[in-house]
Amino acid sequence: MKTKNIYNRIIIIIFISILTVQLAYPQSKLQKSAGGEHGETDFIINWKRYYTYDEWTGIMKEMQKKYPGLCELESIGKSRMGLDQLLLTLTNKSTGSHSDKTAIWVDGAIHGNEVNGITCSLYLAWYLLTRYDYDPYVKDLLDSHTFYILPGLNVDANNSFVKAPNTANNPRETYRPEDNDGDGLYDEDLTEDVDGDGELSYMYREDPEGNLRLSADSRRFVDAEEGFEGLRFTRIGSEGFDNDGDGQINEDDLGGPDPNRNFPYGWNLNAGNPYPMSEPETRNVFEFQLAHPNIFASFHYHNTGRLIMFQAPPPVRQSASQHEQLREETERRLQEMKKTNKYAQLFPRQVSDEYRHDMDVQTKIVSEGAYILKNYEPVIGGLSGQAHAATYYMLGAYSYLIELWGSPVDIADTDNDGRLSDEEYMKWIDLDLAGEGWITPHKVNHPDLGEIWIGGSAKKHMQRTPPSRYIEMEAEKNARFVMYCASQFPEVKIEDIKLKALKANIYQVDVTVRNTGEYPTASDRSVQLERYIPDMLQFRGSDNISLVVTSGKDLIGESGRRRSYFRRSDPGPEIQLSAGEKTEFRLKGKGKRVIRYYLAMDGKQGTVEFTLSSKMGGSDRESVTIRLD
Amino acid sequence: MSIKSGKNHYAIPGIIISLLINIAVINAQKVPISFEAYHGYTGTIDYLKKVNAAYPGITELMTIGESTMGRPIHVLVITGMNKGTTIDRHIELRNKRKENIQNVPAMKIHQGKPGHFIGGSTHGNEYTGTEVCLYIIDKLVSAYGNDETITKLIDSRAFYICPMINPDGVYNSVEKGIAQRANSMNKDDDEDGRINEDGPDDIDGDGFITSFRYRDTEGMYVIDDEDPRLMIRLGRDEKTDKQRYSVIREDIDNDKDGKRGEDYESGIDLNRNYPESWWKDDGFAGGSGTYPLSAPETHAMAEFFTNYRNILMAQFYHTSGGFTYRPMGTAPHSRLNPADVAVFDFIMGKKYLEIIGEEVPEAWLYPEKLDQYRKELQGSDADTYSKSRGYELPRGWRVSYNEEGDKRYGYGMATDWLYAQYGIYSITTELWNPEADIPGLEVRDDENRRAAVERALLKYQDDRYDGKLFIDWKSFRHPELGEGETGGWISRYSRNNALPGEPLLNVCEKHWQFELFRASLLPEIIIKDLKTNIIYSGNTSEGTAKRDNDEFRVETGKGKGRYNIIEITATIENTGALATNLADGEELPGNRQDVAWLVAERNNIEFLEGRPFVSLGSLGGREKIPGVSNNPSKKEVKWIIAVRDNTPLKIVVSSLKGGTVYQEINVK
Repeated sequence: MKTKNIYNRIIIIIFISILTVQLAYPQSKLQKSAGGEHGETDFIINWKRYYTYDEWTGIMKEMQKKYPGLCELESIGKSRMGLDQLLLTLTNKSTGSHSDKTAIWVDGAIHGNEVNGITCSLYLAWYLLTRYDYDPYVKDLLDSHTFYILPGLNVDANNSFVKAPNTANNPRETYRPEDNDGDGLYDEDLTEDVDGDGELSYMYREDPEGNLRLSADSRRFVDAEEGFEGLRFTRIGSEGFDNDGDGQINEDDLGGPDPNRNFPYGWNLNAGNPYPMSEPETRNVFEFQLAHPNIFASFHYHNTGRLIMFQAPPPVRQSASQHEQLREETERRLQEMKKTNKYAQLFPRQVSDEYRHDMDVQTKIVSEGAYILKNYEPVIGGLSGQAHAATYYMLGAYSYLIELWGSPVDIADTDNDGRLSDEEYMKWIDLDLAGEGWITPHKVNHPDLGEIWIGGSAKKHMQRTPPSRYIEMEAEKNARFVMYCASQFPEVKIEDIKLKALKANIYQVDVTVRNTGEYPTASDRSVQLERYIPDMLQFRGSDNISLVVTSGKDLIGESGRRRSYFRRSDPGPEIQLSAGEKTEFRLKGKGKRVIRYYLAMDGKQGTVEFTLSSKMGGSDRESVTIRLD
Repeated sequence: MSIKSGKNHYAIPGIIISLLINIAVINAQKVPISFEAYHGYTGTIDYLKKVNAAYPGITELMTIGESTMGRPIHVLVITGMNKGTTIDRHIELRNKRKENIQNVPAMKIHQGKPGHFIGGSTHGNEYTGTEVCLYIIDKLVSAYGNDETITKLIDSRAFYICPMINPDGVYNSVEKGIAQRANSMNKDDDEDGRINEDGPDDIDGDGFITSFRYRDTEGMYVIDDEDPRLMIRLGRDEKTDKQRYSVIREDIDNDKDGKRGEDYESGIDLNRNYPESWWKDDGFAGGSGTYPLSAPETHAMAEFFTNYRNILMAQFYHTSGGFTYRPMGTAPHSRLNPADVAVFDFIMGKKYLEIIGEEVPEAWLYPEKLDQYRKELQGSDADTYSKSRGYELPRGWRVSYNEEGDKRYGYGMATDWLYAQYGIYSITTELWNPEADIPGLEVRDDENRRAAVERALLKYQDDRYDGKLFIDWKSFRHPELGEGETGGWISRYSRNNALPGEPLLNVCEKHWQFELFRASLLPEIIIKDLKTNIIYSGNTSEGTAKRDNDEFRVETGKGKGRYNIIEITATIENTGALATNLADGEELPGNRQDVAWLVAERNNIEFLEGRPFVSLGSLGGREKIPGVSNNPSKKEVKWIIAVRDNTPLKIVVSSLKGGTVYQEINVK
């Protein structure tokens, strides 16, 4: 009864002081119409072509010059052949330093030939910069977060791929010399453009015993039927010369290890040789990432296949039958979910309790990714020394490897059998691409081989990397997926403060803190790595207020509430007793927590202040005045 | 040099050192060197530069990287610089890509010879290894042109000597007198926002960082009864009635955070930072690093070994103990190929034990009776691995893997890495065993052997060094710990390292002998029994030939003028003791089989039988390795070619680790 009387006599006044940074300047050109322009013409870039090293770094330099308040340019190191690996750092500088903000890392084209990653990451930078003044969504992202964008990771090979005649698959690796054919020489027999047409195709020789002939339209080499009487051919291989005179052609290609097997996590000698982080290009990247613990998530652009390969926590050990059961159950639940959301995702991976939140968060994020990217399929990524394995498993950052674009099966598969026949592919070239992109067989005189035929294949930017007309389409939706992830970075706030009088001069204060992002303030993995700083709620009271360190039981005779915090199934608010002036915890994605304090106050009036701080989720502060009538 | 020399079963007396030391001082020594004092970082760099300047024909001073503090990591290459060849000097490339990509540097002459690496001071405070490296350099360069065997060795092999893998550690340990095992790192160990601000200090200002002892009821030390200068460490639960002391390095709390020496340059343990079985382990003496090869020093080593694939033999000097670790420490015996084990134990191990004067296991002397020894061990309490081998590893030649407990010793060690990933006979020798390296050192029997050795060493330095290696205790008031005394061994001379002068020379001489022996085991390839047989001679109008039912019929012409169809045969032989690769060596990424090329101007030659280059596998060694079926040491090669008259022809044989040789063909 007495308690109630006291309770009635309390007046609480709450002051909110906003700690989030002041807006640098108002959005002068806010575009309210979806039909209007959003800064595209402020900085015009042709997104319908591929760029050489000089050209794409030139665009980066222009970006820095034109948007100095939002964009910084630096070299994170040099490639084997001495080219700078240039990195863009995007954030609104007037709202704080890039290193104090939660950051996303984006790199492109670790595989030299997958240069679509350069245009996609460059497009992301351009989208953010040009839209900043027009688009509140973009403005918010650059005001509060940092984007580290490295358009070309494997710069030597990237530059060669764009500039020089190449197959769709080469050069893929970094330029460390390697003796592929075991003849004692290194990188001595590369592919060459024998006919000088700027493309690398295949070589064939006329051969009465050959198994091939020209197709009816003379555009392809096809299997020759038994008894075929006309001109027969045998395939020699990729276009090139026998440089070292060993009788073989193109047998010791450019470059050494696969740079995306060169990272330390899950590294193995056969795939990642000669040693982990042996390549200047990969080492520069990992050293940068280590030195920037504010990196919270990472994107790595590859070609091809339309995949969202995300890193998931390690699976728990399961028997084959357990796993089969899990797979079936997952499939059943997924079909159920797909009745209401065709982009729903669920993965047959059993993880331990300490990793459950990462699995849930990643599933949620890539489900949205599937929605944004439409025909992309989310799958769990591999380890084996891959860059995105190191970012998740060694740095604790959520990571995504995107296999950009893919075969035009979805649009050109007219008979709907799930694959592209040669005829369907040629129709795609003729109608969708107006005939562009095919090398017709033609005769050539080869210095080592005499008269041969070259051709019958698609050109370079027709296979792994999309024809230029598709670049922007691919880049635009991928930029939106990266931005979506950044928009879901943790953001913490003090949501509510409740005061309750218990007995003479003793009060119970419940402070509700919340993370509004889909991501937690620290990944489960970073917790396991002990590579995180816990969120903290700090208490400060006026001189007449002190904290009562107690379980609360003796004050209110309440014992069941605290235990409920540990009970996983309990849907109620999580209540955590304060641990003195500084209370540490981790806020999960969309998570909330109530921190309970017991206070003793002398006199009739006092003030308490709560400061919430999160390394990745920002900060908030509120103060409360307690006044007795 | 024969490797079948072990005649007796018993430990042979140590080498008569004084004799050999005298031999060292020969007039061919263009750069005099003395081992009366440690060279440290400065002295070592100075010596390397002088040797390189004095012997340009047989040395190259390479800088393979830089330490954290910017000190160079040098490798001195010793080889006859105008002897030998490399494969890229013989193969002409043509029709190359228009881009003109320059990613493949021209091979250095020593890359065409079997390589032998010797490295010291991975741990900065174990600089005896640096001294041994310098000693070996001196022996090699001084003998060139004077000693026939060594001259031949230098011409046909390449020695890669890296006296300081961890130059910062050596500098701090020797020059600054602060023992530093780890590399240096710019790291904020105590997370106070400042870097390397609280290291050890010369608190009494006498120019040396020794120890500070103070009375402490919790202390773990007492004063020695026999020699009151010595502090004896008590066992964990040992009781005593004597006054207890704590002994710390001379140090004050520079940054006033309540801790002493908590943020010094000292970084990570470089010998836990290599990629073999690496694991992040912050607990071990500075930790294993953030990722494998994260340290600039280990990164430099990795890049070096990647570029110099011709290296087949490696030695990493550490201290102390006077024994050698052969692989492996991170994995059990079963991880090694038995053929490699046989080379390590029966050949190298046996020689090593003879040199250090320890008993050679009987099984190594009579390996043909291995089955019998294996049977005898079955009933004993020996561990599983010893039973499977047929012998227990002796004190002097062991593995760091704990075979009894079946536990790995540590993560990411250099020796394991080079063995398992590069296919190298790599070992780690723990130099300096005072009792063996100071003949006549009087060590009395004592339960506490360590204390007895220290007493003897203290007495030895009284007699031989005028007591200058040890500072007598004198009272000092520590600003934080109060009254006590400073004194003790001067850090440079404390236990870890061979005392300069005779003890150090003894260590140097033994290990020079051992590495000289190992260098003599390296493969050596020759081309012999070269025969040519002209099967057919023709002329232009007939064109070149194609094989048809064992007859050579001419069809279309390629060359102009007269041409011959020739059969060429030769024998490629490895006359060295060991094979050109470890047992599984050729399979490792970056390694390869031996190859033989037949080279001629391309427009003038057509191969009718055989390809321009043929793979030979790995040529076996001359030496019979007990219990192992060697690869053949000889391979026949044969080509039938059509070649324009008078076109020069040559055979080039290139083994990655066995060297490259060539022979011009005189057609008869």
